[in-house]
Amino acid sequence: MKVLQKNTIYLNIIIYSVIILLIFPLAVMFMWSFARSWPWPYLLPQDFGLRGWKYFFNPTSKALFTLFLSVLLSLIVTIVTLVLSIPAAKSLAFYNFRGKAFFEIFILAPLIVPPIAVAMGIHVQFIKLGLADSFLGVVLVHLIPSLPYGIRILTNVFQAIGEKIELQARVLGANWWQAFIFVTLPLIAPGLVSVGSLIFIISFSQYFLTFLIGGGQVVTFPMLLLPYIQSGDRMMAGVFSSVFVLTALLFFIIVEKTIKSHYSSREYFYF
Amino acid sequence: MDSKLKPYMLLLPAIIVLLGIFMAGLLSALVQSLGYFPVVGLKKITFEYYLEVFKNQDFLKSLFFSLYISLTSSVAAVIIGVLLAYLIVKSQYKEGIETVLYKLPIIVPHMVAALLIFNILSQSGILPRIFFNLGIIRDQSQFCNLVFDKNGIGIVTTYIWKEIPFVTMVVYTILNNLNKELLEVALNLGAKKWQGFIYVALPLLMPTIGSAFIIIFAFSFGAFEVPYLLGPTYPKALPVLAYTAYTNPDLTNRPYAMVISMILTIVSVILILLYTKFFRLLNDYNR
Amino acid sequence: MKKLAIYFILLLFLFSLVGCSSNGQGSTKSLEEKTWKEIVETARGTTVNFYGWGGDQRVNQWIDEILAPSLKEKYNVKVNRVGMNIDDILNKLLGEKQVDKKNGSIDVVWINGENFYTAKKNGLLYGPFTKKLANFNKYIDKDSHDANYDFGFLIDGYEAPYGKAQLVFIYDSAKLSNVPRNYQELLKLAKENPGKITYPAPPDFTGSAFIRNMICDIVGFENIKDIEPDKEKVKEAIAPAIEYLKELKPYLWMKGEAYPATVAQLNNLFADGEILLGMSYTPYLAAGKIQTGDFPETTDTFVFENGNIGNTHFLAIPFNSPNKEGAMVFINHVLSVEMQASKYDPNNWGDLPVLDNSKLNEEEKNVFENIKLGKGALPQETLLSHRIPELPADVIPIIEEIWMENIPKKGE
Repeated sequence: MKVLQKNTIYLNIIIYSVIILLIFPLAVMFMWSFARSWPWPYLLPQDFGLRGWKYFFNPTSKALFTLFLSVLLSLIVTIVTLVLSIPAAKSLAFYNFRGKAFFEIFILAPLIVPPIAVAMGIHVQFIKLGLADSFLGVVLVHLIPSLPYGIRILTNVFQAIGEKIELQARVLGANWWQAFIFVTLPLIAPGLVSVGSLIFIISFSQYFLTFLIGGGQVVTFPMLLLPYIQSGDRMMAGVFSSVFVLTALLFFIIVEKTIKSHYSSREYFYF
Repeated sequence: MDSKLKPYMLLLPAIIVLLGIFMAGLLSALVQSLGYFPVVGLKKITFEYYLEVFKNQDFLKSLFFSLYISLTSSVAAVIIGVLLAYLIVKSQYKEGIETVLYKLPIIVPHMVAALLIFNILSQSGILPRIFFNLGIIRDQSQFCNLVFDKNGIGIVTTYIWKEIPFVTMVVYTILNNLNKELLEVALNLGAKKWQGFIYVALPLLMPTIGSAFIIIFAFSFGAFEVPYLLGPTYPKALPVLAYTAYTNPDLTNRPYAMVISMILTIVSVILILLYTKFFRLLNDYNR
Repeated sequence: MKKLAIYFILLLFLFSLVGCSSNGQGSTKSLEEKTWKEIVETARGTTVNFYGWGGDQRVNQWIDEILAPSLKEKYNVKVNRVGMNIDDILNKLLGEKQVDKKNGSIDVVWINGENFYTAKKNGLLYGPFTKKLANFNKYIDKDSHDANYDFGFLIDGYEAPYGKAQLVFIYDSAKLSNVPRNYQELLKLAKENPGKITYPAPPDFTGSAFIRNMICDIVGFENIKDIEPDKEKVKEAIAPAIEYLKELKPYLWMKGEAYPATVAQLNNLFADGEILLGMSYTPYLAAGKIQTGDFPETTDTFVFENGNIGNTHFLAIPFNSPNKEGAMVFINHVLSVEMQASKYDPNNWGDLPVLDNSKLNEEEKNVFENIKLGKGALPQETLLSHRIPELPADVIPIIEEIWMENIPKKGE
């Protein structure tokens, strides 16, 4: 018994050291956002200042507004992606049809073809369609990196729950949307949450596609952030990066909390 | 609804989007890589640019540099990620904070990850500061540079940091649902713990690990932000080379940018084929 | 499911229609015929989209908090600042040119040098327009080299000056008592302090300027200013400078095997005490950085005894700007005494003014003289008397190429 406990301690030490290594850089970045002066070789900033945070909260910098717009954009992208992915994933999970293998590959293509290879061509097409420099255009182009994840992961989710329950509901007299809303949706909800969160992050982090298609008329948060990383203003980069990470984290927590409370009260519905 | 058409109808909306946006972009890149770029007076279809690029030493160096970065970082991330997942499953407090904490890097975008690693590894970063305060080094210059270096250590570290949690998350989900009885049977039959892991768990995990590897490999191969922010002056990673040619003020350079993009694409397509093969393997295991 | 797909397609079409129908209608009188007064009237109530580099919080803040409110108050023109690299701006314009998009989204671009050269050559700019601007006619010395040539390239009224910049070296007087006054002394300093000197790698703007500065110091500006953009000829002309950089290389930071990718990284190295010299194309950067606490109080700046390279940065209007009147009002206001002076103040930005001193009245001169430059700043006279013009824009990529082929790769 004692040996086992000792093992557990070792195990925990390893786990926690890896986790600390993963978290540590984030803590350093957060510290930089307050560091007015942090010369070599000090381990902690020598002087603190709020220049970065003041600029961030100053209404003329439009940083807060941009953050809000970014969250809204990513939410819309997430919803549209899910709406498109659910039927597609269902098709790939439950049906055998001619060309299925081709579609499977085709859907994954954007995941692996580098965005730089397609962005310019998309840009030209979008200008022709009047979609460039518009919110809608940015939403549409964000679907490209999002859809492969959405469809692929939801396909696995559908495969895991199986088709039978929805069919049973149909047999019992429910029409397709009743079956979907009351049977399928609750079943895939946990999967939807994790896919949705992932898509939100993908859309929220997009830089290259957004600035090319949005053309500066649709400004998202990463577009404010990158110039500061590039120019090496470590305080500003720290502030904007911290806001970025905290927003994403907050989003995750809210989604998970609401879904969980929602479901614990409704669990009887599907079992 | 006609049941034969139904799967196609379900797929249609997503396919329209992908076809209309993604394929249009890809085709336009292909046409430009063949030298058709009428705005600057290039109208002849030719393979010249491909030949020229392949003869170029800088390009070949960049290609190998990119392959090296992706391979090293993906292999390391997969090994550490799988081990971490295994350890978390084995540890007793499975619902503890660590199952949430380790996922944090997933939500950090790559450009921020680059900044984080720069803050740690550069010659004025936290790591050399710690070494200095421990008395291991006496001067900044004694700390060998780990960002902007020819070995791409900064880039590789950034990718490893970013991808470990991804691998862990994917593997953890599968590992947690894995048939535990199988492992226990093996252990009861006298197998040591590591034997149980290597001979029982690992083979069952292989398809998942393989597809995770392909995803992160392909991503790091095609992404430009991290090598752009942390890479050496020479050789440049392939996506950075493409981007530099793409933004060159001399617009007749555009076909070269597109040739490099197409080569990135071709390498990636080969990866897709491998990827789907792994998925088929995965499905075979599930059956 | 079928319905969903149909809705979706309908939705797509609907949106693309909305996108197309938002084209503006042309005004009755063409812009070329309008007087300045009419231009100001037309611009009233409009928004100007200003695109330019967004990596300096102080510059952003000057535009957002001083220039924009002042334009709003005086001309009722709103400013929408968009931070974007010039490469990306040109790419966007090029894409629009490709499909002949008449109604763009950029009204004013912050531009100069080779980018201006490319943009003008490809018809991406509107012009000539500068002669329309009231303040341009009033305050700018139209015969000066700076007002006619941008990196040796004829301006032709396609861009108006925004500010002047000059390469300066930054050092900490507490660590370095004797600053190098020419290239030999710089080499000596590097040999005495191996690993403590470096410069940003081109195509970083400042890194590229540093190399040109060394070329001018070694070869002499007069001997290279009229050179043809031919690689072999340039190679021959700058050979002594390349030899010099090769000699310098082993004594550089990281033994010259790597260079900071941007000037900001270089200055971070300087701020952290990793290297002895920082540099900036913004002559009062150090003064500002002392105030924000990034640089130590003992920081100061210097230029070579034979001068440092300087250039002017400009504002231009894209060919498809939807609000050219607003753009002109914007640029005109940037050329006012009030804006040039507040831009000159190192507390705000610290960018050299472009107005001709002899065209200012006493009161206006005083506005500039009353600005306190503070620590770490060279007076405007010192900078202007040690100023070498930029080399022709088309030679610069060739120099960068030669550097790339000879310096970082060698020894592999």
